[in-house]
Amino acid sequence: MSPAAVRVDRLEKTLGPNKVLRGISFEAQPGEIFGLLGPNGAGKTTTLRIICTLLAPDAGSVEVLGFDTRVAPQEVRRRVGVVTAEIGIYPRLSARENITYFAELSGVLDGELLRRVDGVIERLDMGSFAQQRAESLSSGQKQKVAIARAIVHDPPVLMFDEPTSNLDVLASREIRDFMVESRGRGKCVIFSTHVLHDAERLCDRVTIIHQGRVVASGTTAEVRGNFRELEDSFLSLVEAAP
Amino acid sequence: MSSVAIVFWKELREILRDRRTLVAIALAALATPIVLFVISQVSTRTAAQTYTAGYSGDIPAGLGILFNATGLKLERVADPAAAAKQEVDIGIVFTSSGIEEYYDPSRQSAQIADIRLQTLLGRYDAARIAASLQQKGVDPSVLNPLPVTLHPLSSPTQAAGNSFLSFFLPYILITMSLTGGLSAALDSSAGERERKTLESLLLTPAPRGQILIGKILAVSLISLTAAIAAIGSMLIALSQISFGISGQQAQITLTPLAAVVMVWLAVLLAASFSSLTIALGTLARNFRQGQAYATPLYFITIFPAAMVLFIPDFSPSLWYYLIPILNAVLVLRDAIVHNALSWSPLIVTSASLILTGGLCFYAALRLFTREALLVRS
Repeated sequence: MSPAAVRVDRLEKTLGPNKVLRGISFEAQPGEIFGLLGPNGAGKTTTLRIICTLLAPDAGSVEVLGFDTRVAPQEVRRRVGVVTAEIGIYPRLSARENITYFAELSGVLDGELLRRVDGVIERLDMGSFAQQRAESLSSGQKQKVAIARAIVHDPPVLMFDEPTSNLDVLASREIRDFMVESRGRGKCVIFSTHVLHDAERLCDRVTIIHQGRVVASGTTAEVRGNFRELEDSFLSLVEAAP
Repeated sequence: MSSVAIVFWKELREILRDRRTLVAIALAALATPIVLFVISQVSTRTAAQTYTAGYSGDIPAGLGILFNATGLKLERVADPAAAAKQEVDIGIVFTSSGIEEYYDPSRQSAQIADIRLQTLLGRYDAARIAASLQQKGVDPSVLNPLPVTLHPLSSPTQAAGNSFLSFFLPYILITMSLTGGLSAALDSSAGERERKTLESLLLTPAPRGQILIGKILAVSLISLTAAIAAIGSMLIALSQISFGISGQQAQITLTPLAAVVMVWLAVLLAASFSSLTIALGTLARNFRQGQAYATPLYFITIFPAAMVLFIPDFSPSLWYYLIPILNAVLVLRDAIVHNALSWSPLIVTSASLILTGGLCFYAALRLFTREALLVRS
């Protein structure tokens, strides 16, 4: 197996009075979709925020392609793209301007900027609305802008945090297709969700976390075990947890 | 392109597409000339206004002509005391032994009419006494044994104009430096959280300090533009409008020295206010909360200009120039009223405002890099 794209080791984090993470560990590889599963409040988003350097761990460590998040946070940010359920884009900028802004801030060089921006616009089929102001776009179109913004610097690690929770069926499907396509390009895709049908369909390996602890980890088939569906296994594990 | 420049141009583009900011700048440019025009009309009208004196009894010989020349119109009434309450501006009863005057000091028109009456009676008395003395072969100059010849070192009209500018200009400069960029500052700080763009922005490898500097520079430029637009339009208006000052029609002008000092202070104030309002906006979860946090600033900024209005001869020691905003008002006042620049106050003021801006920037940076910023949002 190739070296891990993301290595999370005994991660602990307290936010306010709540101990959110209590020793989370897992590894995600290039060319796989890795599912980070758990009920609401399990600690999935906090884990992702630590991986992408938005939060610092209280204990434990995270490495992204060999870069420690505490030692080299900027190197980590160059290698990570994040898509969340909350589609925050600048309403008074056009779709293209939104993407270009993030490409520039991510260090895409001037000579390559146009090619990269045009590339993601074409790849995500955004040509028809690229010049429109973001405030006039539909939710699905905005989500495409958010994805384009996250991938325009071509990061080797992509993280999706409940990306389909505010989208309709068609837009959700496009996101899923995009994750599969990214895996085909050799990217490490970390998919955080509580929609277990999506996880079962897409993920190569999963880790289930509950109350800040890992309760199961392995390939989707391994975690499902003898249950008919991943959801049944998940419920069994969560109910059995202390 | 550096991250500072990238953020600066993006913020500027967004600000210029924001109707709120454009309206603020347009108002800054238009409001002052409108206010000045109204002041000019009122002052001119007050100077030319004729006030009515209701009287009874017989007017002493020659006094009626003086009344007309002083802008007091005589009107016979049955009861001057009753009429002075509302019908006329002042009530006069001419008796054989003198004059009874009735006026209501709570009415501004009555105050002006009273001043005019006192002036008029003073002239009348002097003329009558001089005539009596001449009839008796006495030189009337005996009444004025120590004549005074006045030599004003500046035009009284210009002095009155400077007094007006020394309050109005700092007030405009400070309020516009604050309010001109306020909407943009809150939009680029609290707005980032409200739109949920902050997390994506902080996920980029751009250093947070550079992101913040880019935002502050963009907001400072807008504040500065608003302040200069307001003052520029005010000066243009002043060159076109004349005021009734000290009984004369006069124009108010700003010296080149005061203009240079004003622009320098505008730069410092804009940078400080931008850092401060962005820091306050970073504390807020949304635009509206940011506005609530920024509201006390209006009072804080207006207070120093008001001090200069109510204590016009306030001569502070150098320590006072350490107090931000007040120091800008004082330096600008000195430049306008005295047409002179003292280096010590200017240096202390500049250092104080730069330090204030630096502290505000540091506070904004600390707030901008807190984990709570993301956790709370």
